[in-house]
Amino acid sequence: MTMTNQSELMVKNDELMPVIGKEKLEQSKYLTFVVNEMVYGIDLGHVKEIIEYGALTQVPLAPSFIRGVFNLRGSVLPVIDLAVRLDKPSQPPSNRSCFILVEVKGASEYFECGLYVDAVDAVAQIPDSAIEPPPSFGVDIRSDYIAGMGKRNNEFVILLDMEQVGAVEELAESMKDVDSSAQIEESAHG
Amino acid sequence: MSENPLDIFVEESQELLQEMEDILLELEEGGDAEVMNALFRTAHTIKGSSGIFGFTHVVGFTHVVENVLDRLRDGEIQISEDLVAALLASKDHIGALVDLAIREEELSEALSHQGDGILQRLTGFQSTEVEGASAQAGIPAVVGGKVERESGPCVMTDQWHISIRFSEDVYRLGLDPAPFLRYLEKLGEITDVTTVFDKLPSLESIDPESNYLGFEISLTSDASKTEIEGAFEFVREECTLYILPPQAKISEYADLIENLPEEAELLGVILNRCGALTDDELQIALHCQAQLREQAVPDEASRLGEVLVKQQTVHPEVVDVALEKQAKVRAQHNTAKSVRVDAARLDKLINLVGELVIAGAGNQIQARRIDDEALSETVSGMSHLVEEIRDHALQLRMVPIGESFNRFNRVVRDVSKDLGKAIKLEIYGADTELDKTVIEKIGDPLMHLVRNAMDHGLELPEQREALGKPTEGVVYLNAFHDSGGIVIEVADDGAGLDPEKLLARAREKGLVDANQELDTKEIYRLILEAGFSTAQEITDLSGRGVGMDVVRRNIEALSGTVDIDSELGEGTTVRIRLPLSLAIIDGFLVGVGESSYVIPLDMVQECIELSEADTQESHGEHYINLRGEVLPFLRLRDVLSHQASEHDREQIVVVQVGTQKAGLVVDRLFGELQTVIKPLGKLFRHLRAIRGSTILGTGEVAIILDVPTLIHRAVGERQTAVNRPVLQTVDNEQGARLH
Repeated sequence: MTMTNQSELMVKNDELMPVIGKEKLEQSKYLTFVVNEMVYGIDLGHVKEIIEYGALTQVPLAPSFIRGVFNLRGSVLPVIDLAVRLDKPSQPPSNRSCFILVEVKGASEYFECGLYVDAVDAVAQIPDSAIEPPPSFGVDIRSDYIAGMGKRNNEFVILLDMEQVGAVEELAESMKDVDSSAQIEESAHG
Repeated sequence: MSENPLDIFVEESQELLQEMEDILLELEEGGDAEVMNALFRTAHTIKGSSGIFGFTHVVGFTHVVENVLDRLRDGEIQISEDLVAALLASKDHIGALVDLAIREEELSEALSHQGDGILQRLTGFQSTEVEGASAQAGIPAVVGGKVERESGPCVMTDQWHISIRFSEDVYRLGLDPAPFLRYLEKLGEITDVTTVFDKLPSLESIDPESNYLGFEISLTSDASKTEIEGAFEFVREECTLYILPPQAKISEYADLIENLPEEAELLGVILNRCGALTDDELQIALHCQAQLREQAVPDEASRLGEVLVKQQTVHPEVVDVALEKQAKVRAQHNTAKSVRVDAARLDKLINLVGELVIAGAGNQIQARRIDDEALSETVSGMSHLVEEIRDHALQLRMVPIGESFNRFNRVVRDVSKDLGKAIKLEIYGADTELDKTVIEKIGDPLMHLVRNAMDHGLELPEQREALGKPTEGVVYLNAFHDSGGIVIEVADDGAGLDPEKLLARAREKGLVDANQELDTKEIYRLILEAGFSTAQEITDLSGRGVGMDVVRRNIEALSGTVDIDSELGEGTTVRIRLPLSLAIIDGFLVGVGESSYVIPLDMVQECIELSEADTQESHGEHYINLRGEVLPFLRLRDVLSHQASEHDREQIVVVQVGTQKAGLVVDRLFGELQTVIKPLGKLFRHLRAIRGSTILGTGEVAIILDVPTLIHRAVGERQTAVNRPVLQTVDNEQGARLH
C-alpha cells in the first residue's frame, strides 16, 4: 500500500517539477499555439486541459476580452479572448479554434479560465539557454506580458508570462471601468 | 468524525458567553434560582474547559467571576445594576481572553489593565473567604451539613464513600479517569475500589473509544468534602459523582442507589462488597429506596424531590442538584437527536443537489423530445423527488433567526444608557428559520437599523412624556415567512418620518429635482440613498448618511429588498424581505437576442405583450400605460448591448423591486425554472447588473440578472442627467468614507 502511494507521489512530483523548480531545471516544457497568425508559448505547468471550441454564453456589459462563459462539468468558467487581451484583432472561430484551460496563481487563490486561441501547435521543450530576454522594443505587445523569447527550430516563439496575462485582479479592475463607462455612454444616449 | 477539541471549546465558550449575556440581561428584570444556577454554570464550565487547555488567564479571571456568581446564587449578594454592568464587562473580558488564548497571543498590557479594572469592580461583591467558596462552587452536594446527620440511622463506617460514573465520551474529550483516582490517593488511603462494569456491552458491540466503567471507592481520609470534590474538578461535566461522608445516613445511601443508573440490587451488592454498607444497613437502604419509589409519581420525577424534602431526608439543595441532573439528561437527550456536521460537507451536499436539479432538468428536456408516455411519467416522478430532496437539503442549512436577534438585547441596553433613553427591545418570531449564510450576512444591516431606530427613531423620555407616550420607547424585531421569502421588521414607536422634511432635505442635497413629484413611499425610500441624513447632529451611532445606504446595498446583495413604512408621531417600520436561500432560487427564463437570462421569480409580477400600439403611444418614451399606471420600462436588448434582432412581439416582464415597479422588455418568454446559482467568480466581481449564472438543462450557461441594480442604474441615470455634479460629489465622499 505504502509503496504504491509513494511511487504515485513520485510520478506526480515529477510532473509538477517544471512548475515548481522552473528556475532550477535546465529546460522547461511549453505549450505553443497560434493567435492571429503568430506563435506564442506558455509554460505547460499552467495548462490544465485543452477543450474543443464550443458555444459560449455572452456576459452582458463585460469588456471585449471576455469572450463569454461556459459550463465545464458543472463549473461556470470564463473564456478570455487572448487576441483581444494582446491587442490584436480576434479571428472568427474555425475548426482548429479551441480553449486552453489554464490555472494562474492570483493574489490569494488560483484563478481558472479558458484562453480562446486560433489553434494549438505543439508541446515544445525549450532549454533555458535557448530563451532570450524580451527585446526592449520591436514586439508590439506589452513587454510585461512576455516572459522571454524562446528559440525553436531557428524561430522565435514569444513565451507569455501567464501571471501577467491572466492577472485576475487587473482583469477584474478593468471591468469596473467598462461598467461605468458603459453607464455614462448609455446616459448620454438617453 | 474528527472534530478538533479546541474547535469545540471555541464554539462552546462562545455559546456559553452568549448564554451568560442573555441571562444577565434577563436578570435585570429579576430571575429565579434556576436562572442563577444556569448563570453560574456558564462561568464554571468556561473555567473548567479553559483549565483543560491550560488557558491560565481565562481560568484566573473567570475564577473570580465564578466566585461572585456563586455568592449571587446563594443569595449572599443581591442583583443590582452595578453588578450586572460589572458582570457584563466581565463577560466581554472573558471573551477577549478566550480569543487571545486561541490565537496563542500574549496578554497585552491594555487587556490586562482592563481585566484589573473589572476585578476591582467585582471586589465589592466577592466573598472574603474566596478560596473555599469557589472550590465548593458548582459541585452538587448529596449531603447537607453535619446537623442533618443527627436524625435517621447512620452507616457505621468511618470511610468516605465515593460513587463515580464517567460518561461514555470521557476518552474522546481527552480525559482519562485513572489519574483522577490516583490523585485521590494523595488525599488519603483508598481502602477499596470496586469497578462497576454492568454497562459493558458484548464484545462485538464494544467501542474501544468509549468508557463503560464506573467506580465505587472507599476512602479513608481527613480531607474535607470540598477537597475530595476538587479532585474531580475537571471531569465534573463528564461524570456522575456522589460523595458520602463517614457515618452518612442510610437514607443518603438510598438516595445514591436511586440516582445511579445501575440496578438497585446490584448496587447494593457492590456497596456491601466494598464495605460501605453492612448487610442490615443494605436491607434498610433498599427498603427505604423502595418506599421512595412508591411515593414518587413516575411521570413527574420532580415530585420525588418534594417528597424527600417533606420527609426531611434530603436537603433542598440536593433536590436542586437532582433537578439539574434531570435537566442535563434532557439536554443530552436533545443533543442526541441533532448531529453536528461540518459546514463544508453540507455545502458539498447542497452543491450536489444543485447538480441533480440541473441533470433532472436535462432529463426532462430529453424525455419531452422522445415523447414516450411511460418515460415522461417516470421522469416527472423523479423530478418530483428531486424537488423534495432539494427542499430538504436546503432545510439542513436553516437555522432560527432568534440567536442573531438576541444579541441586540445587549446593544439596546448599552445604547439606551449612552443615549439617556429608556428603551425596551421586543422580539417576535425568533424561531423563524433562515439560511445560515443569509443570517451571517444580515447581522450588520440589522445592527445599523436597530441603532438608527434607537438614535433617530425614538424620542428622549421628556419628549415622550410631553407627547403622552410611555417614557420607555420600544424597538421591535420581528421575523416571519411570507410567500417563499422571509420578512424581517425593525420597528420603533418613536417620532416617525416626516415626509415634508425628508423631501426638503433631499432637495437641499440635490438628490431630488425641485419640481419632481414623489409619493410618500418614494420619499421614505430617500433615507436609503447615499449621502442622506436627517439627524440634526451627527452622533457616534449614526447620522453620517452612510449607514442606510450600506444597509440597502447589503440587503440587495442578498437579493433582498428594503421597504419603509412610517406614521408621523407613531413610529417607523423598516421591512427587509429576503429569499430563504442563496443557493437555489426559482427563476424565470427569458430570451434576449440569442441569449437566455434568468430573472428571479419572486420579483416577477406579470408578463404582458408590448404591442406596437403601446410603443407608438409612448412616442419613443420608455413607459407604457399599465391599467392606468405609468410603468417605466427598460429594453434589455439595449441595456445588455445585444445586437438588435427583429422580433414581431416583444414582451414586458413586470418586476417589482421594493416599491418600484418596472418593465423589462425581452424578446421571448421561456417560463419558470429552478435555478442553481453558480457564482461567476472573482473576475466578474465588479460587473454589476449580474448576480451569477446558472446551468440550464441543455448544459448551456444562462446569466442571472441583478434586477435591482439594473433598475437603480436606470433611476441613477435619470438623476445623473438632471443633476450630475452633485451626485458625483456625494459618491466621492461616500467612496472615501468606505475605504
